Amino acid sequence: MADIQLSALQKTFGPVEVIRSIDLKIKSGEFIVFVGPSGCGKSTLLRMIAGLENVTAGTVSIDGADVTRAEPSKRGIAMVFQTYALYPHMSVEENMAFGLEMAGMPKQQRLEAVRKAAETLQLVPYLDRKPKALSGGQRQRVAIGRAIVRDPKIFLFDEPLSNLDAELRVQMRLEIAKLHNELGATMIYVTHDQVEAMTLATRIVVLRDGRIEQYGTPDELYSDPDNMFVAGFIGSPKINLVPARVSGRSEQGALLLDVPELGLSGLAVMPRSPEADVPQDLILGIRPEHFHAGPGEHTVELKCSIIERLGGVSYVYTDPGRDNAVTMELRGATPVRAGDTVSASIDPGDCFLFTQDGVRL
Amino acid sequence: MRRGVGWNIVLGGVVLFFVLIITLPFWWVMSGSFKLPQEIIARVPTMIPQSFTLQHYVKLLSSSDYPTYMINSLVVASVSTLITLALSVPAAYAFFRLRFPGREALYRMILLAYAFPSIVVLIPLFGMFAKLGLVDTRTALVVINVSFALPFAIWMLRSFFGSVPMEIEEAAVMDGAPPLVILRRVMIPLIAPGIASVGIFAFIMSWTEYVFASVLILSDAKRTVPVGFSGIIGQYQIDWGLLLAGASLATLPVILLFALIGRWFVSGLTEGAVK
Repeated sequence: MADIQLSALQKTFGPVEVIRSIDLKIKSGEFIVFVGPSGCGKSTLLRMIAGLENVTAGTVSIDGADVTRAEPSKRGIAMVFQTYALYPHMSVEENMAFGLEMAGMPKQQRLEAVRKAAETLQLVPYLDRKPKALSGGQRQRVAIGRAIVRDPKIFLFDEPLSNLDAELRVQMRLEIAKLHNELGATMIYVTHDQVEAMTLATRIVVLRDGRIEQYGTPDELYSDPDNMFVAGFIGSPKINLVPARVSGRSEQGALLLDVPELGLSGLAVMPRSPEADVPQDLILGIRPEHFHAGPGEHTVELKCSIIERLGGVSYVYTDPGRDNAVTMELRGATPVRAGDTVSASIDPGDCFLFTQDGVRL
Repeated sequence: MRRGVGWNIVLGGVVLFFVLIITLPFWWVMSGSFKLPQEIIARVPTMIPQSFTLQHYVKLLSSSDYPTYMINSLVVASVSTLITLALSVPAAYAFFRLRFPGREALYRMILLAYAFPSIVVLIPLFGMFAKLGLVDTRTALVVINVSFALPFAIWMLRSFFGSVPMEIEEAAVMDGAPPLVILRRVMIPLIAPGIASVGIFAFIMSWTEYVFASVLILSDAKRTVPVGFSGIIGQYQIDWGLLLAGASLATLPVILLFALIGRWFVSGLTEGAVK
């Protein structure tokens, strides 16, 4: 169990600033997910915490102790790599015991610890095998086993599931969640998959261009994004972003909006901070799952150009060639076909408002 | 990809052509060493031996200094190979892993060693060895062989180190292994094919080295096979049987080495490590 604190952490590769002054506090036992598009610096940030990447400026503290310049092995950290990084010439048992051997643990104790971890991960039948004789999922479990056997205070995962197929990914995701419950250790997990982020995290750090865009629980990020980037990154299918024009204000302070793309006028949306200065042209965000089939107070009529039926839900897309194409989620079986006009209603309370620069209003 | 029968025949023919080019002289030497002298110099050469004798081998081993040459060669080549490996592995790892100013320039410069024909450096080296009292010692040959094998060995091993995924090394760092342990326990087993190639290269280079051995070694008892063996070719006559037997025996250690190390040349040694 360990707290982690990053203070004004920076990393530059030559003239390129990869991490721009990051401050972050991670409480003991949390499951933190770093998420963001590729090149946002999430892996670099993880590697800086691990000690595999030098820190340009700022500090990394674990349990109050400054470990910015400490050796990776002295930080009480174990890391699971995207590519597993198993030692191919060693058996599963040797792979898992290597770190303990380096720590100077006697052989008997080592074998016991490996056996215990192998039991947790159902790896006992494979202890004598070499990594090449294992499937992808088993290899990943060995990589995780190699981490847990050392009983670290902190686990770091660098996109550990991205090499697995979809089914195995779901299964391993559950195993990692279970592991976190059992071990109670602090875990930091890097992924570009927002589903993994939403399902695993106690809190999510959304990164872009080496900066933290938002840090909060999955629910906060979903229902109260700080900006258009976070709103667009969290949620699948992606949030709809359409231009809107302010036509006035209601007595309660809500903005009255005309939304030509959706054929709406006078939609009263409450901004997050009612006092804020509001420009004329805004962007309205509404998630596909916030369309309700059938007419209502604010009815939207959209022409379906493509429909994807997933069984439980269907996704209706309006002209996908256009910038402001709208995606709508319809629950259950629907008779809608391509070319049909679909009517659905929205609730202004589900809408987010952003300035043209992407700042949430 | 589907190929026609005709194309397969063409490919097979090309392979056969090269196999024959390589193996025919070898077969000629090997089979000749067991032929009676008259058959060896027969006007119409025989590809399939008509006679069989061990007389050339008996003569070679009992009444010439060949066994001494062989031992000298074995000692010089083995020691040269071991030292080459012992130096090139850490050097290549350093070139691969450590970041120091002038690294790339230095790395390219080491191959300059091959820019000079050995005959050019022969005289200065002889002078140096004379000052050091190393002329007519096998140590001199070892020093020469190592210094000529080393640049290529380092150059080759560095690319083998480069083929090991970085994450494996980082995993070892996370496991708390110090650099030398990482080198010994993780990296060296993974570049075994590279080490085997370099070992064979260094051995063959020493085994066949002639120019320096002929100049730096003065006494007959310290000659290596290539130099000692050239003495078998006399001014007025050549004992072909003896020559062929000696040549056949000389290839034996190299063949044994290939057989021994060959199993290290397994492909996909890092298979299962990453993805």
